[in-house]
Amino acid sequence: MPKPKQTDIDRLLPLSLPIFHMLLSLTEGERHGYALKRAILQRTEGKLNLGSGALYGSINKMLEEGLIEESEERPDSHLDDERRRYYRITSLGQRVVEAETLRLRNLVRFAESQLALPEIA
Amino acid sequence: MLDATKVYGWLLKLYPAGFREEYETPMKRHFRDDYREAQGRWGKALLWLRAFADLAASAPAQLLHELKIDLKHGVRVYRSRRLSAVLAVAALGLAIGASTGVFSVLNALLLRDLPFSEPAQLTELWLAPFTPLMGRAAFAAWSRQSPYLQGTTAFSSSDMNLMGEREAVRVKVTETAANFFQLLGVKTAVGRPFATNEDITGQNAFAVVSYGLWQEFFAGDPRIIGATLRLNGMPLTVVGVASAGFDYPAKTTVWIPTVFDIEKIPKRGAFLFQTIGRLKPGVSMPGAQEMFQAEVRRAKPLSLTSASTDERNRPRFISLRDQLAGPVRPASWVLAGLTLLVLLTACANVAQLLLSRTNERRQELEVRAALGASRARLLQQLTTEATILTAAGALLGLLVAQWTSKLTSSIAPPQLATQDYTILDWRVLAFAGALAMAMALAFGVLPAWLLGRLQPSGQMLRSQPGSRDLRTKHVRATLVALQSALTLTLLTSSLAMGRTFLELLRADLGFHTAGVVTLNVSLQGTKYRGPSEWQYYSEALGRLRSVPGVQAAGAISHLPLANNLYMGGSFKLDSLQTVPATVMNAVTPGYFHAMETRFLAGRDFAESSAREPAPPVVVNEAFAKSAGLGRAIVGRAVTVPWSNTPYRIVGLVATTSLSGPANQGGPQIYWPIQEEPPPALTLVARVSGSPEDYLARCRDAVRALDKEVPVYDVKTLDQRLADALAQPRFYTTATLFLAALAVLLAAVGIYGTAAYSIAQRRSEMGIRMALGATYERLRSMMVRESLLPILVGSALGVAGSLAAGRYLGHLIEGAAQTESWTFVAAAGLFLVVGLLAAWSATSRVLSIDPADAIRAE
Repeated sequence: MPKPKQTDIDRLLPLSLPIFHMLLSLTEGERHGYALKRAILQRTEGKLNLGSGALYGSINKMLEEGLIEESEERPDSHLDDERRRYYRITSLGQRVVEAETLRLRNLVRFAESQLALPEIA
Repeated sequence: MLDATKVYGWLLKLYPAGFREEYETPMKRHFRDDYREAQGRWGKALLWLRAFADLAASAPAQLLHELKIDLKHGVRVYRSRRLSAVLAVAALGLAIGASTGVFSVLNALLLRDLPFSEPAQLTELWLAPFTPLMGRAAFAAWSRQSPYLQGTTAFSSSDMNLMGEREAVRVKVTETAANFFQLLGVKTAVGRPFATNEDITGQNAFAVVSYGLWQEFFAGDPRIIGATLRLNGMPLTVVGVASAGFDYPAKTTVWIPTVFDIEKIPKRGAFLFQTIGRLKPGVSMPGAQEMFQAEVRRAKPLSLTSASTDERNRPRFISLRDQLAGPVRPASWVLAGLTLLVLLTACANVAQLLLSRTNERRQELEVRAALGASRARLLQQLTTEATILTAAGALLGLLVAQWTSKLTSSIAPPQLATQDYTILDWRVLAFAGALAMAMALAFGVLPAWLLGRLQPSGQMLRSQPGSRDLRTKHVRATLVALQSALTLTLLTSSLAMGRTFLELLRADLGFHTAGVVTLNVSLQGTKYRGPSEWQYYSEALGRLRSVPGVQAAGAISHLPLANNLYMGGSFKLDSLQTVPATVMNAVTPGYFHAMETRFLAGRDFAESSAREPAPPVVVNEAFAKSAGLGRAIVGRAVTVPWSNTPYRIVGLVATTSLSGPANQGGPQIYWPIQEEPPPALTLVARVSGSPEDYLARCRDAVRALDKEVPVYDVKTLDQRLADALAQPRFYTTATLFLAALAVLLAAVGIYGTAAYSIAQRRSEMGIRMALGATYERLRSMMVRESLLPILVGSALGVAGSLAAGRYLGHLIEGAAQTESWTFVAAAGLFLVVGLLAAWSATSRVLSIDPADAIRAE
């Protein structure tokens, strides 16, 4: 697979909050849709509760943009024995979520200097 | 209990097919899991609320997203097949445009709001036994006691002289009852309508003027209220200005409350009273009609009610809307029907184009199906593609419709100013939109249905002729047959119309229209009275005759082709024989010569106005025929119904048509004008050279005689004939245009089908050639096959024309009897076109190389 160009990555930024969270949680390993939803719910302490339409809309978008890809279908032993489709992050996805994090860091640094907030210990 | 997951599943149908295909199952599962976990009633309600919010936010986004993809794909597909796309859009555009244009006319005539309050309650009482002639009090009393009408008003329209600052003009005046504006529910822009008692004789010197007149003559000055107008010389005080756009009835410019006071405004001639009623609330139209007819029978038990076979001469109670749409209504419906036929042929065409495209694309679609695209997904794709075509067609159609409706309004003048035909009306736009949407859906679904279930299978890459091909082949043949039938129906109708119109053009009017200038003058309200009227007329004629280039001139009280109300009656010949329904006219010596109306016997009136014991008259051929006499009628005596004075017939002239070529003209009798000069007449002058060049010269010559006498309707006689023929000309042109369009579409359809069929059967041809068949034999075989559906369709088309022919009489009188040669000509013409299309399409056979064709297999 050819290495993604920097312009391709910049084109995709900034990421929407759900997509950022989904990509982040996929860096930990393959997940299926429902697990992603649960992970985000947990991570944001119940503040970001994605509806199914929004969830799969975002997944669809990430698939089309090549940020994630489907892996094989298999049952989730934690939930039930129904087969589920799993997703994993691509190398483009990895670079994009990193770029987004850097972008956010720079943004936060700029905001801190602007507001003269004390450094976090 | 209804399963919550199932309900959720239904809601998911709002998502586009592609998205649903991918995520329907996990989404349902999520919902099921969440639903199971939801605590109590509130938890479940909250879950539903969230689900709805999620759906409302994400479904439109997904729809747009997939639409964008489909559109991109569709545009790519059409780009590679430019010709067929352009043809389809052109066909759709013309068809949608023609339909929308005709619909805009129907809309203006039949559907749009009239400028009256609650117009559905308004009715016209035609030839009612209660007319303004009963007098104001009796009319009001009858109106009050009516069990079905809450009010009635009456009016009568005529042309009058309005004295302007520098010269007099001729305007349309409607004499009304005082309650005219109140009954119609119309407000004035400035001032007020008539007050209740302002139609009492002696108290009725008032006028309401139209908005247009106010702007034109008074520059919109509000001081018009209280100003004085002189109509036919009578001073009237302006009390109000009608609201802009209100000109009912028949382009009225001044309304005066004098309908019960015939003497108020000096005028002579024929009058037509009209009565309008407003239904009582709760009274139905059929119920009121019955009560009206009963009332008519009580009032006039034996008269007009049953005696007359002519619909126009029988009492009638109809809604005002129907009365206004009147004579053009059936014609508009017939035109709409013909346009629908063209729309259908265009549909057949587009269906064929899309069908062949879908067939060509079967491989692509099958590959996509193999890759997991559902039928719904492909259907969505095909529908989007069809929508691109019909949307483009609809846009083009609106342009065509704009043009069509403009054309229509220039030819069929609206009866109300507000009744202009515009496509910028929500009903018209909705019609065009709905038409395009319906077509898009049909064209999206049809090819998908014909493709059958797209199943990925091992044989998908081979184009084996199978049951599906047979099915599309049959559908294509049916489409060609259908299109042929519709086209032939249109073609026959247009030929019948064209023939009838040509007959109208060739019809003998009894006079020659070329090279004649006509001008109207009116002495109403001027200083001319009695003998001085004749003096004015003869001086005007003298001036006209002295215009260089004028060869002959004369005058007549009621010019043919001028849309006059004629006066007539029955006459007695030699005190014995009665000649009924004879139209009376007054002419000057030289009139017949100027019009080139032939004298069959006898002579014209003499120039000298010396009174003779038996004043002379001239009659026409129809009069003589009606009396059972020929040339021998000259020299006989004739008496009028209202006096015993005998008149002597001195001349016999050819019969002239009064209203135009469709009308043959009945018995007519002519008086010398000096007997009793009419208040208005038409001067005619035969000139050498182009009559248009003489219009201004002749007008100025007559006007110079007296500026207070309006000289109006200065037109060539040819122009008047063209006006009389405007309606049939428009309908004929429209039908010919529609038929030509249909033939063009049919030729394209036949060509496409034949060409496609050859492309499909390339290998078969190759084998046949290898086995010894010649190009010529193959080609004629293919042509024969293409002709079969055309022949079947033509047979249906002849049946269709027979059915359609009956209605053509609404468009142009006399077109209803379709002669057999019309069928033969239409069918022959159409077959030649079909043959040519099929023949040129089969030239592709020549390019087949047998070796290549077989190898491809």
